[in-house]
Amino acid sequence: MQEEQLTKPNRRLSRRTLLSAILILVVIPATILMGIYLLNDRKYYFISLLIILYTMLPFAMVFEKRKPQARELIVIAVLAAIAVAGRSAFFMLPQFKPVVAIVIIAGVSFGAEAGFLVGATAGFVSNFFFGQGPWTPWQMFSFGIIGFIAGILFQKGLLRRRKLSLCVFGGLSTLVIYGGIINLGSATIFSPSFSWQSLLAVYASGFWFDLVHAIATVFFLFIISKPMLEKLDRIKVKYGLIERE
Amino acid sequence: MMKDSFSSFHPIVNFGYFAAMLLFGMLLMHPALQVIALLCALTYSILLNGRRAVKFNLLYMVPLFVVMAVMNPVFNHAGVTILFYLKNGNPMTMESILYGVSAACMFVTILIWFSCYNAVMTSDKFIYLFGKIMPALSLIFSMVLRFVPRYKEQIKRISLAQRSIGRDITQGNMLVRARNGITILSIMTTWALENAIETADSMKSRGYGLPRRTSFSLYRFDSRDRLVAGTMLALIAIMVIGEASGRNDMRFFPSIKMAHTTPFSIIVFAAYLLLGMLPVIIHVVEALKWKSISSKT
Repeated sequence: MQEEQLTKPNRRLSRRTLLSAILILVVIPATILMGIYLLNDRKYYFISLLIILYTMLPFAMVFEKRKPQARELIVIAVLAAIAVAGRSAFFMLPQFKPVVAIVIIAGVSFGAEAGFLVGATAGFVSNFFFGQGPWTPWQMFSFGIIGFIAGILFQKGLLRRRKLSLCVFGGLSTLVIYGGIINLGSATIFSPSFSWQSLLAVYASGFWFDLVHAIATVFFLFIISKPMLEKLDRIKVKYGLIERE
Repeated sequence: MMKDSFSSFHPIVNFGYFAAMLLFGMLLMHPALQVIALLCALTYSILLNGRRAVKFNLLYMVPLFVVMAVMNPVFNHAGVTILFYLKNGNPMTMESILYGVSAACMFVTILIWFSCYNAVMTSDKFIYLFGKIMPALSLIFSMVLRFVPRYKEQIKRISLAQRSIGRDITQGNMLVRARNGITILSIMTTWALENAIETADSMKSRGYGLPRRTSFSLYRFDSRDRLVAGTMLALIAIMVIGEASGRNDMRFFPSIKMAHTTPFSIIVFAAYLLLGMLPVIIHVVEALKWKSISSKT
């Protein structure tokens, strides 16, 4: 079992890529076509929701397929729980939440896949406390993809384990990726057909919320990134966890 | 008040019902169907949550409905029936106003359905359903749900211990308090990670990952579930046939066009009403049954 895990990484990545490719090249266009021809091109909200769900599917399937170890599962669960607890601890300050900061730390410390799972789980579970709604898949995807990108950039050496580097990435990704996706999600509800005008209006009205969120991410990364990464490293060294190389 | 009896059905029946209602709620734009869905969602939410649901619907849903209905015509100028021109020269059309009302109705209906979903589909039902398909992810999910209250408890314990050595967040000046708070969170994080590894090892030694595990909650798919599931499927089939034959069509742009109401579309509307009201009907029938049984003794 252990050896199998060590030899797997290369194949694992390609399988996910293959699955994503099928989804992106076949299933998503098919869904959009179905929306245009069967649903008279009026159900933007529904179609966009389906596409968001598809994009999360490869992560879930690959993760299930390789039968993760209990230790790996539980570290992901702990980080997601810290993110959820952080979100509920700051419930009185709208948008001022540490979730993105913790997701980025998870991605940097445990890799892109763990980053995605921590983000998506935190988004999903925190809505059990805050209330589920049509926004849940959008939040799950936005948090998840930030963790995933953080992991990949760190692996490629573009993101450093330094405060400045993490804070810059955190601020930008919250403003651009999270804000961009969430606002797109709410724009699909308002307008019957795609129009730049209504999209712009949604982005303009959401900008200040996104800015507060980005500042919060920078703030939390500045405070917790160093001690948190140290703690995670300590755990990894002490128990010989998920060193994937 | 008696507990909602639809919640006591098999999780797959609960989940199927909400999946169908959410799907139809998002897809169907025909005004009659929208009104039916809104009505069903409102009735069920009040049945489930009582006075809290009334407050939620009045306090949040009504303003949301108004804002959304007004937002659309301001940004959207499609449509052929121009009512008047705005100050910036953009036309205000009847189609976009009606579309705004319709989209707002849809969104509010879906939010109310979700409030019902939150009350009926508890997390253990969700895990029961998805534990077989995605065991690892639903395990993570259930652990996170458990960890959150547990961490809150642990933070209390740590801060009590810190207070006895004068390092709680209620002691010292602002700066000291903030630093003490961060120390408490740091202790908490270290504890959480250490404790997690212990939990994982303990899970492994008790056979985690071996085949044929059991769930915490056990559900049996009995004749009652079969009856309701069968009814649901039949009603959904009628809806799908109605949709395919164009009975539910509704077009807003460029001009409003609605499918003619035929006898068959009445059947479709009735099926939708019955499907939406299913939990309420079940609840009433069960309540009557209970009354007739208890009065005999």
